[in-house]
Amino acid sequence: MRLVAGIAEKMASNQKQIAISEFFEKNKHFLGFDSLPRSIITAVKEAVDNSLDACEEARILPDIHIKISKIDSKKDILELVSEDNGPGIPQTSIEKVFGQLLFGSRFHAIRQSRGQQGIGITGVVMYSQLTTGKSTHVLSKIASEPTATSVKIGLDTRKNKAVKSEQNRIIWENEDLTLKEHGLRVTTRMKGKYQRGRQSVFQYLRMTSIVNPHAEITFIDPDGERFHWPRVTERLPTKVDSIKPHPHGIELGQLQRMCRDSKDSRLSVFLRQNFSGVSMRAAKELCEAAELDVSVKPKSMKPDDVRALLEAFQGERMVSGKIVKLLAPPTTCLSPIEEMLIKKGLSKTIDSKFIATMTRAPSVSHGNPFQVEVGLIFGEGMAGDKHVEVLRFANRVPLMYQQGGCLLTKAIESIDWRQYGLEQAGGRGVPKGPAAILVHLASTNVQFTSEAKEALSDNSNVFEETRKAMLEMGRGLRKHLEKKKKMAKTREKFELINDILPAIAEKSASILDRPVPDLSGSITRIMSAVICNETTEWNKETKQTNVSITLFNYTSRARSYSVLVNWPEKAGGEMVGNERGGRKEAMGIWGWKIETLEPGTQAIIEYSLSNLEKGDWTETDVFFRGSQDVIGATKLDEKMLEEIRRLEDAFKEVDDVVSDDGADGASSFDPGVVDGDSGQTTLFGGDV
Amino acid sequence: MARVNDPELTKSRLHLVVEEMYDRIVKGEPPTMTLPVRTKTNIAFDSKLGVYKYGKKRSTRDATSLGSAKNLLRALHVVEFIEEMIEAGKSSTLREMYYISEAWGLGKFGSQNESNNLAEDLEVVTSCLREDFKLRPEEDGARMIGNVTLRELNRRGQWMTINARDDVGDSGYGLPYNVEIEKIQLKEHDVKFLMAIETGGMFDRLVENGFDEQYNCALIHLKGQPARSTRRIIKRMNEEWDLPVVVFLDGDPWSFRIFASIAYGAIKTAHISEYLATPSASYLGITSDDILAYDLPADDLSSKDIEALKAELSDPRFADGWWQDQINMMLEIGKKAEQQSLAKYGLDFVTDTYLPEKLEEMGLA
Repeated sequence: MRLVAGIAEKMASNQKQIAISEFFEKNKHFLGFDSLPRSIITAVKEAVDNSLDACEEARILPDIHIKISKIDSKKDILELVSEDNGPGIPQTSIEKVFGQLLFGSRFHAIRQSRGQQGIGITGVVMYSQLTTGKSTHVLSKIASEPTATSVKIGLDTRKNKAVKSEQNRIIWENEDLTLKEHGLRVTTRMKGKYQRGRQSVFQYLRMTSIVNPHAEITFIDPDGERFHWPRVTERLPTKVDSIKPHPHGIELGQLQRMCRDSKDSRLSVFLRQNFSGVSMRAAKELCEAAELDVSVKPKSMKPDDVRALLEAFQGERMVSGKIVKLLAPPTTCLSPIEEMLIKKGLSKTIDSKFIATMTRAPSVSHGNPFQVEVGLIFGEGMAGDKHVEVLRFANRVPLMYQQGGCLLTKAIESIDWRQYGLEQAGGRGVPKGPAAILVHLASTNVQFTSEAKEALSDNSNVFEETRKAMLEMGRGLRKHLEKKKKMAKTREKFELINDILPAIAEKSASILDRPVPDLSGSITRIMSAVICNETTEWNKETKQTNVSITLFNYTSRARSYSVLVNWPEKAGGEMVGNERGGRKEAMGIWGWKIETLEPGTQAIIEYSLSNLEKGDWTETDVFFRGSQDVIGATKLDEKMLEEIRRLEDAFKEVDDVVSDDGADGASSFDPGVVDGDSGQTTLFGGDV
Repeated sequence: MARVNDPELTKSRLHLVVEEMYDRIVKGEPPTMTLPVRTKTNIAFDSKLGVYKYGKKRSTRDATSLGSAKNLLRALHVVEFIEEMIEAGKSSTLREMYYISEAWGLGKFGSQNESNNLAEDLEVVTSCLREDFKLRPEEDGARMIGNVTLRELNRRGQWMTINARDDVGDSGYGLPYNVEIEKIQLKEHDVKFLMAIETGGMFDRLVENGFDEQYNCALIHLKGQPARSTRRIIKRMNEEWDLPVVVFLDGDPWSFRIFASIAYGAIKTAHISEYLATPSASYLGITSDDILAYDLPADDLSSKDIEALKAELSDPRFADGWWQDQINMMLEIGKKAEQQSLAKYGLDFVTDTYLPEKLEEMGLA
């Protein structure tokens, strides 16, 4: 159903002269059918995109099955079966969806959508018909009907029209003989070549599953091998609002079309109602800048008038020397994956010890809202001497080709990764090491370098945001590594006093045949510090995250402290079994007072976090107030606490205006990094 | 310092090490082990003994870090192990001790180097020798050819008389790891000097060419960095028979160090230098001058070689002018040469030309 404007127009205008086969032949490179290996990937991509979109719209958690079999190896004929549990397609619409070349219904709507690429499932039907002469079988069941529609869709290549055949209604049963409630199954044969590697159906599905953690994807390859990527969250992507185009992001052709199609009688009204970011004042000023009367009827505007209006949009025409000020477009049209889910998505496909993620606040480039997310996964399972795997996504769609020419890759290459523990010759280029870097651009207008739509074109705003996101993520990684080092040191000290020192005492006593001496004095001298030990562990039985913090006083004096921790309050976590009480210090910050900690004693704080899933919270930051330094905890930066309280108040104000759908990731505060410019909170990853 | 040869004294000296740790714990302090610093910054020439010995710098190994605490625990295990051997009348190799440490739990060694080092540490601290500890080295002793006659006590407890020219094959007489008086006696000789040779290839060349008979000398193969027993037997022949010792090595920074360990004492064993070093030994070649004078085929110095040479410039054992000149010259020409590069001029060049010329300079031919 989704079509790119250019292709559609081309097709519409040339419909009479060009046969479909010819059209296909001419445009196969950007339709994604230019080579046999790519054709099967494109077909899978169209089918999966359709399923994910349909499920998202119907608010169903997707369960997608893909099966590819070899039908004729000599002639490279493959069969693709794709099945989902989506809403299905009503019988009367099947023909349209699979066989008709339409302008996309969302053409004027601006929001983040997957379907900015390719020609849609219709292309698959066409390709199948052209390469095998066979029609595509569709089985569709909608919830409100007891039976499913089974139909074959072909294309009349002379009339460029869908032809259906063998339509009937059948009972669709699942494997366990229960009735299928709703869903769609598409079976199609085509010329194609199944391959493995970086550009493969497998890789496409793997990447898709990373950025769609709510989807359950099963794949059976031509050798019968079964791959399964489980669902790791029950949370569907946020429903996105469509927004009107912003004057800064519009092109002449589009503006001309909008004026032509407009039914408004006054230009000022047209501007206010069809664009985002245009206030009454701005509408008047834009007219003034374009030297057009506010009462001009848009439909009757001459090409030069439209051009003048566009120049006013772009600030080339001004009002008394000033560019007309416009509001930024709303960013509710974006659906980022969010840090916690990126973390889960990555961890289900790559075995690793560490994941850091960063979702930047939405930003605007040329009137188009966009948002950058990055993730970094570090692990033993990956090759250490090779370039890191770069996982690029635009609007949750994997980008698999033309890595080198892509803006996202360039942003990765511009970072000096050596400070974050990766190898990189000269501090530039794609780094080497056992890691994978994920970059996701969510945008209402993704700009590609070419019609193949595999590489993002240069855009300084997006580039800068991507860089910032990665630097911030890197800082989180460095902090994590430092903390780990510190913890290792603390562990060593504990081993020293708990294991080695007693052994020295016993052995020396036994050699000299004397009594084993008391160790407390030596221990105090060796440690001469207050030490904090923190564990955050998932408990399978209770489905809670147990946190335990122990403070040991290995000094010769009694001590007094306030201990503070961060916890995922904003992500909906609940603190239970907190017997020591304490009090809330700020959003996501809890504190306890420890009045006296005698020399040689310890204090234990224990609580559990409920209402979270496994992997949501894996590391707790511990802070302290007190004069003596605490190894294993960070001295509280009071300014930072103020900052969090201030942010919290700001959030409250926002909440009063815009309802929060609770989809926000957890927040944490980081006394080391004060993010002043955007005021956004950051969540750094932890052990998985 | 020499062998204590008294099990009770050895034990009581080892106990002093243990007591230091124990007493510190009783006092409420971290246990420690105090020993001389064993680096080139702490060796000094002992004019009375004519060799380099450890100076006065002490380091304290205390249990405030995991690494040194583990080391202390290992030392205790080793002490206990030595006592057990002394009592049972057994001995073990250093390698065997390394494997035995597998059973020591937290006190086990991470590598054999660690166990070797610790055995040396205990020697240094207690002024005992590893023979007192019933610990044997792995290293092979040297091979020797020449008209010298020794008596060796064999496994059956019989003294055998061996002439290292007439009673041996082409590989020469193999020295045991223990060359002390209770095992080896020097009976008689008819040689004018002793020549220590670095490589097996050169040793065999001189043997094949009959150099020992022609020049009336004994040849001893060092096998690279010489074992304690090799240095000890050179020292004994030098002292007991008053034989001059010349050392014939490759011309590279590592050979300079081999020579220093023979003549002045090795850094690692400076506690027993007077017992191993032969201060009157002289360096025959290959010198830096030789590389130029004989136009020897030479390799470029590696970065490690250069580093080693620079370190030698500040090593007190190489402080004299001749050594400073040799080291600086090698750095200047940037080349090193092997003994066997003399073969450039034919197989007999070394015995017919090079060695006679060098020995004449030294007044030995």
